[in-house]
Parts: sequence; structure tokens; C-alpha cells
Amino acid sequence: MILHLLNRSPASSGVAHEMLRTMGADDRLLLIEAGVYGAVEPQAALFSALEGRCFALLEDLASRGLTGCCASWVTPLDMQGFVTLTEETQRTVSWF
Amino acid sequence: MDDPQTMLVVLRHAPHDSSWLREGLDVALVAAALGQDVTLLFLGDGVEALRSGQQAGPLGQKGSHTTLDMLAMYDIEDIRVDAASLAARGLTVAELDWPVTPVTSDVLPGLFATSASVFNF
Amino acid sequence: MATTTAARHLDVGPRRVALDPEGYLVDLDDWSPGVAEALAAEEGRALSDEHWEVIEVLRDFYRRYQMAPAMRPLVKAVGQRLGPDKGRSIHLMRLFPDSPAKVAARLAGLPKPTNCL
Repeated sequence: MILHLLNRSPASSGVAHEMLRTMGADDRLLLIEAGVYGAVEPQAALFSALEGRCFALLEDLASRGLTGCCASWVTPLDMQGFVTLTEETQRTVSWF
Repeated sequence: MDDPQTMLVVLRHAPHDSSWLREGLDVALVAAALGQDVTLLFLGDGVEALRSGQQAGPLGQKGSHTTLDMLAMYDIEDIRVDAASLAARGLTVAELDWPVTPVTSDVLPGLFATSASVFNF
Repeated sequence: MATTTAARHLDVGPRRVALDPEGYLVDLDDWSPGVAEALAAEEGRALSDEHWEVIEVLRDFYRRYQMAPAMRPLVKAVGQRLGPDKGRSIHLMRLFPDSPAKVAARLAGLPKPTNCL
């Protein structure tokens, strides 16, 4: 199982689409930095099929005024949660 | 092919506009020089690197085409290209200058999952 | 391409050739067989026909690919051009001891191999 990290807003970059096409059925996605814009609807619709395995980094949400704005299928995650997620996955692939 | 010892290097950036493509190729070359099995995957804008007729940049910056010519000397022979990325840019495998294997979307997750390591550029 | 500056100079007949801190040519166009001989003499080597044919393989490699090869591709290129008996690392180790890819690239007037650890 791979943890994918996305740091680009889906609206400004095609990289989210490329990433989605490489994701396996158990892979997880963590939105970080500008990637957290993708946690909010309507952009979040792109990730609706990833319910339960789509996360957004809380501190990046907070700094952008997005706390509490996440779509229901995106789980906010603090740094400890990020560490746990990393431990649970075999490897990490960054998309930028 | 989908050997668990294989290192996957994903090239997602076009030549000339950034150094990502060159850096990805450098990582692949260093690994291959050390005897590592390397698979290259051209994805997204990375497929532009395979377009024929490329030259050096306007200020004499080296292009990536000579490096692609050199891959075989490093025994990097498993070169895959995302068919959808090609189609989106009006390219076909037949018109590319290098011997590449087109891959469809359904095999991409397996390629990532089975490689020993993934380097994304 | 070469961004290095001259650390010292080598006198080759009437010419002064600039070398970088590691002894590679600053300007690759300075190369000539005489320069190769002077570089080899510095290291206490005399160049035989077997050295020269490898140097020519390297110069051809660089013309094609604009990069100096690491050891594995150098062995492969030598094998393709000079035959399987010579396309072996032991042959190159004997001709250019210590680090054939680096030593031979210097004599051939190429930059230092970058993807050669």
C-alpha cells in the first residue's frame, strides 16, 4: 500500500489526475500544502471515490482558513496522524 | 518487467522548462550505473520528452534527447509511456524516436505497487 | 557547459592548457592527442595503441551523448566497438588503473563523469 502526497491544488495542475490514475484500491492520499484546497468542494469531488482513505493535513488547512470546510469524505489529520499514516504504509510517493 | 527489485523512475515534466526531467534521468543513470534494474515511466507532460525533432535550448542548454539516446548504454531498456498522456497531446507511439512500451491506465497502479521503490520527478 | 575555472595550466608544446581542480580540461576544445600525451605523462603513463582505442571510444561516446560514461556504459561501449575481449572491466582496469571511467575521461578530454560515484 502506498501513501500518496499531493501538494498542488487540483484546479491549478493536472498532477492530481495523473496521481489518481496510478492509485491502487488500497492506496491512501494525503493532501498537504496547496493540495488541501482539494479537500473543499467543489474541487473535492475529484476525490469522492477515496472515502476513508483521503486525508488533509490539519495545519495546512488551518493556515489557509479551511478548517471545518472539508468535504465529508476527507479526513483532517494532525501531525501525529500523519506519522501514523506513514508508519502504516510501505512507501510514500510525492506528487508536486 | 514487474520485478520486485526494480526501481521505478516516473518522469512527469517536459524538457527545457525545468530541471525535473534531467534530475529524474540522472537518478535513473546513477542507479543503473550501480547495477540497479530501472524502469522509466513517462507520464503527463513527461511524454513531451519523447517527441522527435528536439534540439538544444536557445542559450545552448543541453536538451534531454541525447540522454535518452544514451539509456541503452546504461542498460535501461524498460521504458514505458502512459498511452493516455500521449493521446492527450496528440502523439502516437509510432512517431516517437525511442523504443517505448505504451501502458494503459489499468496497469499503472500495479506498476507502482510492485516496484521496490518509486522516484517521482 | 564547463563552468569550472582554471586551477592550473599544463604546457603542451607552445600552448598552455587550463585544467580544473581535478585535472580535467576547462575548455574541451583544447584537446589534442598531444594534450592526452601530456596529461598521461603527468600521471607517469605512456599511451599505447590499446589506450588510444579506448580514448577514441570515449570521444565518440561524448560526441553522441554529450556526457562522459560511468564504468558500466564505458565497458559496454568498448565491447561494442572493440569486441568482447576488450569490453571487460579487467581490461580497462589494467589500462587505466584505479578508476578507469574517470582516468580515461580525463585523458580523452571529456568532463568528469557525473553519474559515476
